[in-house]
Amino acid sequence: MAEQELHFTDEELNEIEKIKAKFPTAKAATLRVLWVAQKKYGHVEPEVQALVAKTLDLPESHVHGVASFYTQYYKEEMGKFVLDVCTCLSCQLCGGYDVLHQIEDRLGIKAGETTDDGLFSVQEVECLGACGYAPMVQITNGVYANNLTEEKVDKLLENLKNGKMPEFESMVMRQNEKRIKAATE
Amino acid sequence: MVEDWKSYEPLLIPDIPNLHKIDVYEDNGGYEAFRTVLGDQDKWSRKNVTEEVKAANIRGRGGAGFNCGLKWSFMPEPDDRPRYLACNGDESEPGTFKDRNIFEFNPHLFIEGALIAAYAMSIDTIYVYVRGEYIDWVNKFEEAVEEAYEKGYIGNNILDSDFSVDLHTTYGAGAYICGEETGMLESLEGKRGYPRVKPPFPAQKGLWGNPTTINNIETLANVPLVINNGAEWYQSIGVEGHTGPVLYGISGHVNKPGVYEYPAGMPVMDLINDVAGGIRGGKKLKALIPGGASTPILRADQLEGVSMDSNSLREAGSMMGTAGMVVMDEDTDMVDLLWRITHFFHHESCGQCTPCRDGTGWLEKVMVKIKNGNGEIKDLDLLLDMTTMMEGRTICALADAAAWPVRHTITRFRDEFEARCKKSVHAVA
Amino acid sequence: MPEVFIDNERYEFEGDHMALQFILDQGMEVPFFCYHPSMSIPANCRQCMVKAGQYIKDDETGEYELDENGERKIRWFPKMQTSCALKLQDGMVIQTQETSEEAERAQKDTLELLLINHPLDCPICDQAGECPLQIQTYKYGPEGSRFEVKKVHKPKRVELGPRVTLDAERCINCTRCVRFTEEISETNQLTIVSRGDKNYPMTAPNQEFDDPYSMNTVDICPVGALTSTDFRFKARVWEMNQTPSIDITNGKGCNIDLWTRDNQVLRITPRQNKAVNDYWMPDEGRSAYELFNENRASRPSIKLDGSNQSNTSWNNAIETFAETIEAHSGDDVLVIGSPHASVEENYALNKFFNLLGASNARFTPHIIDGYGDGFLITDDQAPNTNGCRLLNLNETDHKDLATAISKAKVCIILSDNLVGRKVVAASDLGNTYTISFATNMTETAKASDLVIPITCVAEHAASYVNIDGRIQRSFPAKETKYTNRRLNLEMSEGRLDRYGTNFDNWVSEEHKVDCLPLWDFLNKLAERLGLDYHVNHSRTILAEISSAIPSFENVTFEKMDEQQGIQLNLDNQKIKQK
Repeated sequence: MAEQELHFTDEELNEIEKIKAKFPTAKAATLRVLWVAQKKYGHVEPEVQALVAKTLDLPESHVHGVASFYTQYYKEEMGKFVLDVCTCLSCQLCGGYDVLHQIEDRLGIKAGETTDDGLFSVQEVECLGACGYAPMVQITNGVYANNLTEEKVDKLLENLKNGKMPEFESMVMRQNEKRIKAATE
Repeated sequence: MVEDWKSYEPLLIPDIPNLHKIDVYEDNGGYEAFRTVLGDQDKWSRKNVTEEVKAANIRGRGGAGFNCGLKWSFMPEPDDRPRYLACNGDESEPGTFKDRNIFEFNPHLFIEGALIAAYAMSIDTIYVYVRGEYIDWVNKFEEAVEEAYEKGYIGNNILDSDFSVDLHTTYGAGAYICGEETGMLESLEGKRGYPRVKPPFPAQKGLWGNPTTINNIETLANVPLVINNGAEWYQSIGVEGHTGPVLYGISGHVNKPGVYEYPAGMPVMDLINDVAGGIRGGKKLKALIPGGASTPILRADQLEGVSMDSNSLREAGSMMGTAGMVVMDEDTDMVDLLWRITHFFHHESCGQCTPCRDGTGWLEKVMVKIKNGNGEIKDLDLLLDMTTMMEGRTICALADAAAWPVRHTITRFRDEFEARCKKSVHAVA
Repeated sequence: MPEVFIDNERYEFEGDHMALQFILDQGMEVPFFCYHPSMSIPANCRQCMVKAGQYIKDDETGEYELDENGERKIRWFPKMQTSCALKLQDGMVIQTQETSEEAERAQKDTLELLLINHPLDCPICDQAGECPLQIQTYKYGPEGSRFEVKKVHKPKRVELGPRVTLDAERCINCTRCVRFTEEISETNQLTIVSRGDKNYPMTAPNQEFDDPYSMNTVDICPVGALTSTDFRFKARVWEMNQTPSIDITNGKGCNIDLWTRDNQVLRITPRQNKAVNDYWMPDEGRSAYELFNENRASRPSIKLDGSNQSNTSWNNAIETFAETIEAHSGDDVLVIGSPHASVEENYALNKFFNLLGASNARFTPHIIDGYGDGFLITDDQAPNTNGCRLLNLNETDHKDLATAISKAKVCIILSDNLVGRKVVAASDLGNTYTISFATNMTETAKASDLVIPITCVAEHAASYVNIDGRIQRSFPAKETKYTNRRLNLEMSEGRLDRYGTNFDNWVSEEHKVDCLPLWDFLNKLAERLGLDYHVNHSRTILAEISSAIPSFENVTFEKMDEQQGIQLNLDNQKIKQK
């Protein structure tokens, strides 16, 4: 990372104040401020952790312990798109590993690696709570791509290469026929 | 066992387009329960609300199945300390994907339930903790919270009453253990999600040492139904000992996976064959995990006449858990399945307690050995012995949750495991 | 009174007790790792499992319910309990590993699990010999391991800070070190990082574990994960002698143990004393061992030509000393006591020269304002300032002392590095005949005309009064040229003392310093001067002090030993010494 000192903008500091106001202690804001920092820098490398600690006036060790406990924080720089492929239980049963291997194959990297062009990272992750829409992938801690097939995975990669993120997909309960109708109209 | 389920109309997620918008919710009777309670505080004293909810016996939908109203009654009398309701939307048990539907399709029902709970327990601050991966649902839910603030359902002197409460939404960053109630409290306090030693229980010393009650999202969504219709009505849905509507999350090898809302006590085979459209590709059913990864697996032949309620599932040799049903067809490799489950718990153990920290890793490593064809029969016995070394020996139930699938998958599919093991080189005497 | 039943024995208790501490207090044992009596209880190691239950009492009669055999009915708790976090209740029944096979099995299981990812490198581990994991594995662990797969690998030989080295593979994640920095030293420098079996304690990235109390984590680490960078690989525990003593590097008087091998002090660790330092001590006090081994004043030395000192014989030293005294009147002699020396030394010196007509000894405190932290580090850099005050030595500030030195013809300094701590310059001592009683060759000793080497705190029994007025004492831990471990009943004998011989390569005569206790030297000097002065031992000096000075009334070594020191009344400082 660059030598220059990291800092939050006034806007970000405002957001942090709002987060702090939710809780009786500054410590409670640790997770959320790490998120703010990750959104800004794309990772929470040591310097970023130190910034969070300084901003909240907390021991750096505390922030480091927290950052290393939670898997969604990127402890190092990742690709522009991080593909979190669920391979857990229902996704395992429904081809999660096929999706993982297909992505590894297409991008020429293994799970845990980043492509040379810095565009993609691939990770094998635990259950993301989309079991009925397996197999699935979460993109950079954001949107879910559900019910994947070989074609859909290729299309997804293609779209991402062109900078097009998938849209949020509402998975309406099959019993809610009116809702489904309303959604498709 | 519930038989007339085909005529059931969803209550938690009714078929009303745009119900997530507060106007639509209000037009359909939304916030009536909360208004009723605040409007007639003599009839609906804090104690009476708790009693009504207790009588309804809403069994906790987060997995433990504990009577919600009874849990509320554990809160001490108010003193000068702050009091908290922590709503658990961490939903991380593999096979479970129900609460996100409430956030997306009927958030106000849950908010209303949480507000009534807060009223009943004299709570001044509600926290809703959602898993970090659900950021899209967090954002949707926060819109609903904003609407509720604007309409004056949350805030100071709500609906001109003397009741005030705040509701804050926050989220995690990837840790299954934060779904454990005290692990969630630690995470809410901004720390590593290490579950706490109990006692003291959260009702005595919860968030920042103050009285706290923790409820699951779906559990709280049931509360307005109870207030509107009464405990007796609620008790008429489902089966004896387990009542009310349940969000069943059906996944795995079925034709129509997804979340379905039906009464508790649904016949398992009806859910698989009728509701979820049967096994994919016309294959045969092999096994079912009824309530999330930690609940013991049941073989197809164990499912005859079993219904999705705690009594029936206990008799069958499993548990209701989160009602996240994972269905497996005849081609499923049980060794692979169990290995992946052990991998999950190894990955998610917080690392505090010895039996879980070191036990989950050992389980996975032995499973890898067996999966790769290098296992021996003695490894199966070792695995079974390790489950007794882990179960009931830790601060929270993660070690139990890791041990049960191992014990039950091996004992219920022993042949399949033995077949993967190397032949013994010793002659059998 | 409420009662509990532990391993079928009845015990009464009052107030709040956790089962584990209560059991330990009764002199019984349950194995544990994470529990520490002075820190919070995380109950995470799961080693102290016991079987517990409750005798069932009839609500109406208050009597215990009996079964058909007339035995009390027990409702066992559904799970094994960690005794550290199990609060005693009236009528509780506890079965430890002594009486419950289930408890024994649970403890054995935990040890098997603890060891699967532990490197089992005891032969090269400093902790071996004093390792709770090793000891408890022998006592309660499984005979072998069924673990045949790969262990987890973690960082090794990590220098966490200037004084502590981490081997994360040995760590059992008891979190004692992390809790220490959170709850005791409050520097919050350590955290557990990562998750699950990848967990280990660490500082924040790019940060040093330079906590002034960092080495306490080495003491409380129940395995060899945290070791002292300085002491690493120096000695095995069973080769050393452990002698109780007092930290002399500041005014707190932390209770310590001196660990010696072949008459060298190899390390210092804190010794528990609730009234002083609990289980802790500052890192600074631990490096004091170097003072006991290195740069010692050994054999008297004398300035013969100009500024060059050379060693001389004890006889010559005594003769020179005596001649100097005889050549001067008492008024010409300035006696300077020392807050760095013991009560007995200060008293003996002052009394001796009072007998010769010198006026009351002076001393100057060694205070650095703002140095202390309100915990165990004090502004006072000396262990016995209050001892000097209670002995009624003449407390003098730096300036007046320098003036007094410039006026004196003979100046006698008791182990106090006045030059080093800038009270006077070495050149200021040039105009007066300076005799130093010295443990170490400090700037002051080097500037002196005659140096009498005396024993240090590690070599004699003597007492010190700390900043709070508590008098505590040392024991001889290492031999001098003139003492012998086997003849001196106060000295502990270790394995090497008992079985080693002078022909063994671990015995070196060079480690014995050629010095005398101050009072022994004064005996010899008195004999030469024909002075009626003789003491046998610091014990008799203290007995004399005790009868002469009310502040020290009833103070004896024995009482100090029994009570881990005695609190003196600091207000009563007006009595003049005879």
